[in-house]
Amino acid sequence: MVLLFSLIIYILQTLLPFLAIIIIYNCFKTLRVNTRKDSPLILLVNKNTKEKIPIIHWENSIGRSRSSDIILDGITVSRDHAVLFRRDEGWIISDTGSKTGIYINGNKVNGSKKVSPGDTVDIGGNKLVLERLEDNKILKKSEKLENKSEPSVASSGALLALVAVFHFIAAFTVCFQATQIKFEPAIAFGLITGIGWLFFIITRYVFGRVGFELEALALFLSGIGILTASTVDLKAIYIQASSMFLGMIMFCLILTLIKNPDMAMKFRIYIGVLAILLFAVNIVFGKIKNGSQNWLNVYGLSIQPSEIIKAAFVFVGTSTLEKLQTARNLTGFILFSSLCMLSLFLMGDFGTACVFFTGFLIISFMRSGSLRSLVLVLSGAVLGGLMILKFKPYIVDRFCAWRHVWSYVNDLGCQQTRVLTYSASGGLFGVGIGKGYLRGVFASFTDLIFGVICEEWGLLIGISVVLCIILLGFYARRVSIKSRSVFYSIASCAAAGIIVFQMSLNVFGAADILPLTGVTLPFVSLGGSSMVCSWGLLAFIKASDERTYAARRGRA
Amino acid sequence: MKNTRKRSRFLYLFLVGSLVGLTYFIYEFSINSSYWVFQPFNKHLSSQMTDGGKIIDKNGVILVQTKNGKRVYAENPDIRKAILHTVGDGSTLISTSIQCRYVQEILGYNLITGFGAPEPLNRNKDIKLTLDGEVCAKVSNAFKGKKGTAIAYNYLTGELICSVSLPTYDVYSKPVFTEDNDGIYEGVYINRALSASFVPGSIFKLFTTAAMLNSRNDSENITFECNKIKIYEGEKVTCMKNHGRINLQTGLCKSCDIVFGDIAVELGKDIMLKEIEKFGFNKEIKVDGISLSRSKYDLEGATKADLAWSGIGQYKDLVNPMHMLMVMGAFANGGTPVKPFFIKEIRLSRGDTIFINSPSVYGEMVKKDVSDKIKAMMRNNTKNQYGDSMFPGMKICAKTGTGEVGEGKEPNGWIVGFSEDRKFPIAFVVLVENGGFGIKSAGPIASFMLKTIKANSTIK
Repeated sequence: MVLLFSLIIYILQTLLPFLAIIIIYNCFKTLRVNTRKDSPLILLVNKNTKEKIPIIHWENSIGRSRSSDIILDGITVSRDHAVLFRRDEGWIISDTGSKTGIYINGNKVNGSKKVSPGDTVDIGGNKLVLERLEDNKILKKSEKLENKSEPSVASSGALLALVAVFHFIAAFTVCFQATQIKFEPAIAFGLITGIGWLFFIITRYVFGRVGFELEALALFLSGIGILTASTVDLKAIYIQASSMFLGMIMFCLILTLIKNPDMAMKFRIYIGVLAILLFAVNIVFGKIKNGSQNWLNVYGLSIQPSEIIKAAFVFVGTSTLEKLQTARNLTGFILFSSLCMLSLFLMGDFGTACVFFTGFLIISFMRSGSLRSLVLVLSGAVLGGLMILKFKPYIVDRFCAWRHVWSYVNDLGCQQTRVLTYSASGGLFGVGIGKGYLRGVFASFTDLIFGVICEEWGLLIGISVVLCIILLGFYARRVSIKSRSVFYSIASCAAAGIIVFQMSLNVFGAADILPLTGVTLPFVSLGGSSMVCSWGLLAFIKASDERTYAARRGRA
Repeated sequence: MKNTRKRSRFLYLFLVGSLVGLTYFIYEFSINSSYWVFQPFNKHLSSQMTDGGKIIDKNGVILVQTKNGKRVYAENPDIRKAILHTVGDGSTLISTSIQCRYVQEILGYNLITGFGAPEPLNRNKDIKLTLDGEVCAKVSNAFKGKKGTAIAYNYLTGELICSVSLPTYDVYSKPVFTEDNDGIYEGVYINRALSASFVPGSIFKLFTTAAMLNSRNDSENITFECNKIKIYEGEKVTCMKNHGRINLQTGLCKSCDIVFGDIAVELGKDIMLKEIEKFGFNKEIKVDGISLSRSKYDLEGATKADLAWSGIGQYKDLVNPMHMLMVMGAFANGGTPVKPFFIKEIRLSRGDTIFINSPSVYGEMVKKDVSDKIKAMMRNNTKNQYGDSMFPGMKICAKTGTGEVGEGKEPNGWIVGFSEDRKFPIAFVVLVENGGFGIKSAGPIASFMLKTIKANSTIK
């Protein structure tokens, strides 16, 4: 009887990877299906040449330069003349420092001005008229969009149900695995699913947002982390679940905050200042834990400010196309990044500094497009890295064990060798959640969580988690090129880059493919700050999806 | 937007990088998982051992099994002590033990289920050994506290019948090792038959004889002059006795050092090295997948006297007992030995036999005519020197040895040999560390071992 029961539990355990694959496949399938094809939003007719220019993007640069979205000829057209973009109130044209200016129906535009269909816009002698696609055609289109979004909503619920089934099976196997029945996993499951559905209902009916795939994926990952911790104690479950809840609030908050990118641009500066202040507080009052001073005690709660600042970093770095065209230099952002990085070095958090640096690389490249400065920055970073190695000898130790962990089994390579040994002990389907031994090793639920998952959930789930995050990156890049504003595109790519890079540092660091730096696995690792930050970063990817704010517009 | 689209491709760098990393991890996982898993610190090994399959001896006596979630060893404490090095104690300390090396089979570990499979699905395997637990127990006791090893195998089938290594302990009352008992338990985790090499002394003269017979046609007619002392370039080589004029056969029988020193010097470094290496010296040899400690013959920087001593089994010569046993198998079989093995068969705890060991040949060590001549000389040794009375009812060919170890310690006593009678096809090696003369220390143990095997024997 007991034997049969253990067999059933094991069979359920082997089902998990297949469920995971179905969940991931369906999430990305719906994400793919629901992205808009390259159909024009509106037409721009050039009266001089009778050319009809379809406007595909929400933000378009106009100029003589070959890299402009709308290329106009004529010596009086500046290289980057103007930006035509769409906001809630309609289409707006903005002069981005042209020599000859813009005229709407003969009146010169100072700064930016709304353009209505039928208006004639004069740019360096090119007379352009904004024309709607035939009215009924647009209607049909939007109807189509509505129709198309219907099944996606339904499938969002189905997706969430699938995730719940996954978590249920996992919780079930933990509850009934040992000789005595455990209740903690059931509580964990209840919290994950309850919070998940509540979140779904709120986004669907309060915010009226279409699509829940990204959130479902994040819930899927967060649930894996919470269930893994569920065998430790109730406190871990409560901390992790409430952090997920806080993360969801953070997610909504950021989405609301950046709803209007032009507004968001305005208070970037305050966020930046706040972030630096937070770092300063951290350095002054921070607590040293495990070699780095990145913990802050607030009313008995220990938080990691650097995690929260990660989201702020993306916020401060990004920009709308209009601002991008007018203010080309990155000085402000470089200064901000340098201050962030300096703070992290002072705190001794080398891994997070690398993550910030990755964010910096992506943002600065997406803003400037200059490979030359990228190379310059990278070589500067290598130099800086060498300096750190000189002054922080314990980091050198990590490097000397790297790729040689089996020669340092009991000292420098202790964590990595345990990760490899116990990962392999788990096989493809794991030894069962809570039955592993890696959890006894230092930092197992944070830095080595990938090993714990491989050991207890099996290699297949470990791979699924990694693939899930990599696919998130591909998705972010896909939506970013259709996004409503360059602001969202840059933020989305930066957030995705940070999540993917941090995942790589965590997973490959633990598996001795990269040096072990001690960063968390987004969504999965135990730790409130990390969880909140992961959801915060996800908001930037969500914002980049053009559907995110569309449904709300439809209702308004 | 066009620019942004182009520049966003930068993100692919990180995505593709992670994919490459993931692929590499999966590759390493599939290649190295066995190495990763079988680490001494892996707690799954000891905890899962309680689910492990059993190990039985050739007669079906249970050496270790799992009962009520506990690893239970043989009932007889003498058997427990005697088979310690072969079976292991469940830890990874005795690294050549079967519970260590076949842990994958015993625990049913595989890449797919890891250690996760529940009992109805596990693929635990039972292992049947070729050893006779009772013989091992008796032989082990015959050492009377001395260190050393005694091994015997069927030179026709390759099945090891006896393999003991001393010192040993009872897994149920493992002693605490302190500085005080350091001497008694020195190298207790080492299976001396497999993982150690010793100064051979006179048993090495068999190799020197083979080298001589192989390279000189007239060797049986050559006589040597033993005056107890011979000087090579100012360095002395000494013999136990003044043997006067003596030929090869008598030289081997009386174990005259001058004869074999002379042969080594006469043949020269190159020929000696070439001939000795034919037997597998300086090479890796595996028994049941275990790499033996290498037997060494090294003439690097040797003077003439050193060369002479190397022919007598001193200088830098080292011999591994299991390798020596194979050499005995070779002389018994006309120059080509059958490889010894421990594992008779492996079967699933619930089900079919999945592996049955079968005899395999190592390769020719020495030509048949030379081998047969040495066999005759070894038979002559027993008849005329040690006495057939040591081995009643048997026709034993043997050679004793006394390996000087220096440091004021007693020499290692050796006896190696085999039964000429193919109805009792046993080859054997006995080494008693610091036991003194081979014939006095190792001889009685060998005699006792052969008598016990013959008495317990099912070999027809």
